[in-house]
Amino acid sequence: MAGLKIDRVTRQFSDFKALKEVSLDVADGEFLAVLGPSGCGKTTLLRLIAGFDKVTGGAIWLDDRLLSDTRSHVATEDRGVGIVFQSYALWPHMTVAENVAYGLEVAGLGRAQRDKRVNEALELVGLTQYGGRMPAMLSGGQRQRVALARCLVMEPGLVLLDEPLANLDVHLRASMEEEFRRFHERTGTTMVYITHDQAEAMALADRIAVLDRGVLEQVASASTLYREPATEMVAGFVGQGIVVPAEMRGAGHGGTCAASVFGAPATLRCRPGMPARAGAKACLRSVDLAFAAPGEAGMSGTVRRLIYQGGFFRAEFHPDASPGTAFVLEVPEPAPIEAGARASVAVRGGWIIPEGERR
Amino acid sequence: MTHVEANAAAAGEEGIGRNLVLPVLYPLLALLILVFVAYPMFVLFGRAVVEGSGPPFTLVWKVAADPYNRKVFWNTLLLGAIVAVLGTLLATAYAYAMTRVSIPGKKVWHFFAMLPTISPPILMALGLILLYGRRGIVTYGLFGIQTTGLYGLYGLVIAQLMSYFPFAYLLMLNLFRGLDASMEEAAGTLGANAWQALRTVSLPLLLPGLAGSVLLLFGYSFADLGNPMLLGGDFPVLSAQIYQTIIGMYDVPQGAALAIFLLAPSVLMFVAHKRLSSRMSYATVGAKGSSRLRLVMYLPARIAALVLVGIVTLAICLQYATILAGAFTQLFGINYTPTLRHVIATFTKSRGAILDTFALGVISAIVSVGLGLVIAHLVARTRHFGRGLVDFVANTPLAIPGTVIGLAFALAFSGSPLLLTGTAAIIIVAFVVRALPYGIRSGVAALDQIHRSLDEASMTMGATSGQTLWRVLLPLVRPALLAGMVFAFTRSVTTLSAVIFVVSPHWSLVTPTILSQMDRGDVGEAAALSVVVVLMVLAVIHGVPRLFDRDWREVHQE
Repeated sequence: MAGLKIDRVTRQFSDFKALKEVSLDVADGEFLAVLGPSGCGKTTLLRLIAGFDKVTGGAIWLDDRLLSDTRSHVATEDRGVGIVFQSYALWPHMTVAENVAYGLEVAGLGRAQRDKRVNEALELVGLTQYGGRMPAMLSGGQRQRVALARCLVMEPGLVLLDEPLANLDVHLRASMEEEFRRFHERTGTTMVYITHDQAEAMALADRIAVLDRGVLEQVASASTLYREPATEMVAGFVGQGIVVPAEMRGAGHGGTCAASVFGAPATLRCRPGMPARAGAKACLRSVDLAFAAPGEAGMSGTVRRLIYQGGFFRAEFHPDASPGTAFVLEVPEPAPIEAGARASVAVRGGWIIPEGERR
Repeated sequence: MTHVEANAAAAGEEGIGRNLVLPVLYPLLALLILVFVAYPMFVLFGRAVVEGSGPPFTLVWKVAADPYNRKVFWNTLLLGAIVAVLGTLLATAYAYAMTRVSIPGKKVWHFFAMLPTISPPILMALGLILLYGRRGIVTYGLFGIQTTGLYGLYGLVIAQLMSYFPFAYLLMLNLFRGLDASMEEAAGTLGANAWQALRTVSLPLLLPGLAGSVLLLFGYSFADLGNPMLLGGDFPVLSAQIYQTIIGMYDVPQGAALAIFLLAPSVLMFVAHKRLSSRMSYATVGAKGSSRLRLVMYLPARIAALVLVGIVTLAICLQYATILAGAFTQLFGINYTPTLRHVIATFTKSRGAILDTFALGVISAIVSVGLGLVIAHLVARTRHFGRGLVDFVANTPLAIPGTVIGLAFALAFSGSPLLLTGTAAIIIVAFVVRALPYGIRSGVAALDQIHRSLDEASMTMGATSGQTLWRVLLPLVRPALLAGMVFAFTRSVTTLSAVIFVVSPHWSLVTPTILSQMDRGDVGEAAALSVVVVLMVLAVIHGVPRLFDRDWREVHQE
């Protein structure tokens, strides 16, 4: 078991910086998800941790062992880091058991011990009867399990999972998610899980690191990310928040402050003791918005579209103060309003995005 | 810490110990390639450029100024141009008939069209002489004409066409097969008939392929040595001229200078071909079609196609049948008494040549494909310094005619620091160097199909790059490698030009033996030995996949 420490790691490809001073601590036994849109640098990060690629700045430590810095580089094969690949990367010319046994064989383990550990690993993923099969004869989910077993048989201190569910269909995904979770509980291995799917990240991880354009935006639990996004990017990426300018009317007291959004008064959550400032931004989600009750103050605007979602409508609301902004409200069936109608929308919650908290 | 981890950590502290395979192999490989590819060419240039007391290039200019040499040079170009254009036309028509027209017996037509690609080109000259020479069975036997008309440009054109059009045919065949049917169908829906669709849609798409075929045939014609030596007559070309200068007149510098004039146009063709194939990608992008083409059912077109493939196949069959007959008659053209004399002579007198050819061919096939895979791995999967250069140098033999390579080898390794003349090594090296580009190509193609994560997975399991190559990549690419080896073997066994300067009494090969038998007038023995080579190559081509190519896909599904 091992904790991973990533210290101001930078990776530059000629004139393109794929990672900019990323620092991240993964505790021993933690399940951390690295979440970000495609091209954010998450795969680069994984390849650096695995040792497929060299850092151009910073250092990577596994426990007390320096894996990578600008001067030294421990080769992949000497790192003891396991990977589960998106494509499974099972060797098609070896049986399931041979695939799983490979690492042990390379390490020079005796046959008896090897067989024992292979059996244990296959048992762990529920594939005991499949040892003699070729990977081509397995289903997608089974292949994924073999890849997992192959990685775990080596008892690596750290397991990297590179979008392992991306190639599976929706139903299989749910059951594999469950499998990963159970697995992590049982073995307590440190896991770093790369994904672009926030639902997956939220379902699995203790903490989520959000990466965007090579910069680490925030590392926090799923609910903190959702409730208290540290940056505009996180606000927009996680839970489809809408970032709008907010006029702060006073400093934050006890975690809330008075503000107004496009003319609508609102009490927004914020960091305790945050001073009032000009140019603040707020993250609003559909749960924070509602059509104003009679007599309630709100922002006026137009409902441009109603999209039926089964049981409720998504109403797209454009405030007059900023017609380019599209708020989405969830309206239960039957809809009290039509597309094209004028409306007033009240702001009943929201989060002031703190300033300069990107880490 | 677990056992495995402890192992890995201990090895890590030992430093580079575990991962020596590629770092050691790589410089060795680079050195080998420099010594055996680049160095001989430098020596050749040196002999041509710096000679005697005069300033550099004196000899090259003298050779260029000589009117006879000029005539030879233009002859070479003329022959190349005619063969290139006619061969491309023939190949295109043949490929079209085979892919687009509904004709019976396609397997047969294909087999015979492919036969020349696995035979020494010199066989064409041999067959032609037996059929249409001074005592040819057609010219003299049938019509009573004793003519030397075969010797010269016409004979050369026919011999080279038959020897090399199949290579162009293969190229065109793949292009025709790759063309998206929907494109012609779209033309059809707009009212174009089959001919118009071909002319306006497919032909422009095939144009880069046609140009590629022209350059390919040009190159083959340039490099051919066997046919010009037997059929050249009063139409001398460069390759044969170089041979005469070196072997007949012992004038090495002059031969080296002539070789440069053979090399220059070949390199130009090669560069043009490379440029073209990089631009040809658009034709293949449009070629990702999946729908099957409807075959042309129009009766006159079918008859025309059948006549075409029939005549070509007949001409090829006649060649081989005549050679076969020649192997079993006393003296073809004069005395047609059946005999086993030549066959017996082949397995006694020429047994050494056959065995040597086979052994050296097999060794060099394994070496060239093995080296090719390692180079392909270096280029595609690692970031070693200078790997691009290694790849480039290793690929240059594609641009160099066999005669030039053979001469360069003979010059470079005939004395210190590296004396290889007279050994098997020089022959193996000549074979390997010539086959290496194909080895690399098959290696790259094979590796391209294997996702990177398959070797990365192996690395995360603690395997070194050497172990990864051996345990994971090699088994996966084996079918492609075997095919590459068969190809390399065929190429080595059938070449004459690359080996004629490096064979020795200790290590003789089949093709030069056939040539000297022809020179002596031992037509029967030459024919018998030819039959044996063709059978040997056929046996390898069909036997190797059956013996060794038990694909992992099949093995485990039993």
